[in-house]
Amino acid sequence: MEGIAKQKVPGGKLLIIKVSFGDSIESVRILGDFFVYPESAVQEIETSLKGVDSKASEVSIAELVGSVAVRCNAEMVGVTPEAIAQTLRKAIG
Amino acid sequence: MRWRIIALETHDACFNMAADHAISEAVSSGSSDPTIRFYKWHPSAVSIGCFQSMNDEVDVQRCREAGVDYVRRRTGGGAVFHDEGGEITYSVIAPESDMPKGIIESYRLICGWIVDSLAAIGIAASFAPINDIVVDGKKISGNAQTRRDGVLVQHGTVLYNTDLKRMFSLLKVDNAKLSDKAIKSVEERVTKVLDYAQISQEELYAALLSGFTKGKDFHMGKLGDEEIARANALSKEIYSSEAWNFSR
Repeated sequence: MEGIAKQKVPGGKLLIIKVSFGDSIESVRILGDFFVYPESAVQEIETSLKGVDSKASEVSIAELVGSVAVRCNAEMVGVTPEAIAQTLRKAIG
Repeated sequence: MRWRIIALETHDACFNMAADHAISEAVSSGSSDPTIRFYKWHPSAVSIGCFQSMNDEVDVQRCREAGVDYVRRRTGGGAVFHDEGGEITYSVIAPESDMPKGIIESYRLICGWIVDSLAAIGIAASFAPINDIVVDGKKISGNAQTRRDGVLVQHGTVLYNTDLKRMFSLLKVDNAKLSDKAIKSVEERVTKVLDYAQISQEELYAALLSGFTKGKDFHMGKLGDEEIARANALSKEIYSSEAWNFSR
């Protein structure tokens, strides 16, 4: 299945999530006009979400995204791990 | 820190993005001074942020028909229509160690140079975090920054007389087609220098040049031969490639 969701992050930027999923997440695209330094962290986050249970909670997804961001020493501006998790959950439905 | 200033010049979209990239490599290696560059776009172009989808943001077919370039930037942020007669773009390329460490603080510093430039022509603008400059609450300048290999690259645009209707015909508008309502909505959020100051684009450039160089040790320079060669290669290999521009 395919899903898409978007939100204007409060105090931040537009975030769009496109996801392909079955029982688990097959692929995720994190799109928008936000900033992440280094930019490569976004791809790392997308890769880390592959295989995650499609029913995973918003909190657990946010923790995963946040841990990847920390590992990449990433600074997120206009977007947050929580916003990514929330929008991904909405995209999956 | 001694700055190199590259005076206003005009290039196509791919070369403009490639030039900023090539300069950042040269600054990173220490072979070029920190650089402030002013430029315009010919033909007009749409640039998108590095995390945006080209097909979601841009009517690519219409751009092709209209002879408008389209390119993905290395920086984040949103889609921008670079009207060849309607705006001036700048880039600031400097070692991170010479700039504020905080992202917002570095935006505030560089955007402050634009605010000062606009003040000099009688426009009371202010920095609106994260990355905008506004007049009366309306955006007059958008800015985007990346930091790679120890170098900060910030580029941005100052709207002089951008054709909003043409912009709308090239950009896909979220939840709306080319309706009067959509245009009105953006016209209420975007403004341009000519709405506030009846000056020529040359006078705007002079104000920007003064505002960006005030208090700095600088020399007027140009792209070096190696930077031009590298920019030409990057333009061909990356910025004009479908793989890069349609990577998202």
